[in-house]
Amino acid sequence: MNALLPLIKREFQEDFKASRGGVFLLLAALVLSAFAVLLVSNTELSLLDNAQAVYLMAGIVIALAALVAVIRGSDGFAGERDRETLEPLLLAPITGRGLAAAKLCGLLCSWLALFILALPYVWAVGSAGQNLLPAVQYLFLTGTLMVLLFGGAALALSAKMRSFKSVLSLGLAALLLLGSPMVLGPSLRQSAVGRMLDLANPLAAALNTLDSVIIDSQGLSWQLARLTIMGCYSLAVLWFLRSATRRLEP
Amino acid sequence: MKFPVWKNLALIMLAAGVWLAASAAPAAAGDGPALKVTLHPPAGGLQMGDTPNFLGVVTNLGRQPAQGLVVYLSLVSLAPGDEHPVDLEDWSAQKALRLDRLNPGASDYRPWGMRLIAAGKYGVALTVVDPRENRPIVSDLVPFEVQPKATLIAGRVLPVALGEPLFILLLWGGMVFYSFRSYHKQKEEE
Repeated sequence: MNALLPLIKREFQEDFKASRGGVFLLLAALVLSAFAVLLVSNTELSLLDNAQAVYLMAGIVIALAALVAVIRGSDGFAGERDRETLEPLLLAPITGRGLAAAKLCGLLCSWLALFILALPYVWAVGSAGQNLLPAVQYLFLTGTLMVLLFGGAALALSAKMRSFKSVLSLGLAALLLLGSPMVLGPSLRQSAVGRMLDLANPLAAALNTLDSVIIDSQGLSWQLARLTIMGCYSLAVLWFLRSATRRLEP
Repeated sequence: MKFPVWKNLALIMLAAGVWLAASAAPAAAGDGPALKVTLHPPAGGLQMGDTPNFLGVVTNLGRQPAQGLVVYLSLVSLAPGDEHPVDLEDWSAQKALRLDRLNPGASDYRPWGMRLIAAGKYGVALTVVDPRENRPIVSDLVPFEVQPKATLIAGRVLPVALGEPLFILLLWGGMVFYSFRSYHKQKEEE
């Protein structure tokens, strides 16, 4: 535990004091700003129901969170290896699992920053509408699960694979693959195959949960199945990360 | 002109048959529940974001109580060239309910609320299904128009959209400047 805290602090400093952290926060704010301006400047979009606008904004936040988790997770061990800074880290009196835990805490800190950053935007587009508070609660919950899932998987791969670029390509490909059914639209996803894909896809489960809570005003009992699926995936990924970092190689 | 007796008899029998059939039909209808359903629109104009209540009335005009009635709302978009059924889930509307029992002569008054989420021309109708009848009873279609309303207020969105990146930029710039100054101060001291 004593060795874990300095490592978490190091991750936190890299996130918020180094230029990388600043650029990430600024880019995230710019993406959300661009979307918010698009919503008010477009005549058709400005007529959207507030709940619909909050759902769209929440979807963008989830996508950003997953993307950042993949990028940061890929950099976790493979990036350190590329920069030849992993070896000194391995000399620290901490196990590979401890290192993975510190990296995962760093990822969750990044997500927390993004979530806090997104709150004013969600309020701005949705304060006059319905379900704003449940939207914020479920955004936090689903976002945390997505970061654990995508970030954990990318971290585990980065512990196993040697190059940052390969892990990043694989992670982005997986993210695109899981995100592609969203392009199909609701009507195609209503078919049996679409429903199966939705059920098996954690990203779809997160977005469907937000849709159900924000637009359809459905309660927790409606979300339990989807939350369980996301939770199971996250646990499986954490188990994979645990076994992948049992013995780290420089 | 004179009719033969057998023709008179036949005419009398035909008239009696018609009379019997005519008198028997209402009696049969009166035995079971005869339902009437009406839907009343809310007063005044409707705008996006409003949550009006349409008053639905189901009346049992028969002599027997009606049991296990299913009442449901149907909403259709009547936009010319783009007519389609509307998913009531998105409109946060109560979609259906079950009436356990409706006594003869009794009426069930119920508000059917919905949240108007998109502008346009719509029609709404209420349907009652009696499990003992093979034909549902539908109210008249109530047409209504939802006026558009800008729900996203630029005065609230733009300050956030422009202010937040600027705030982060200033905060980050301040931190970089502070660490740069501390670094140089430390170097000068050394």
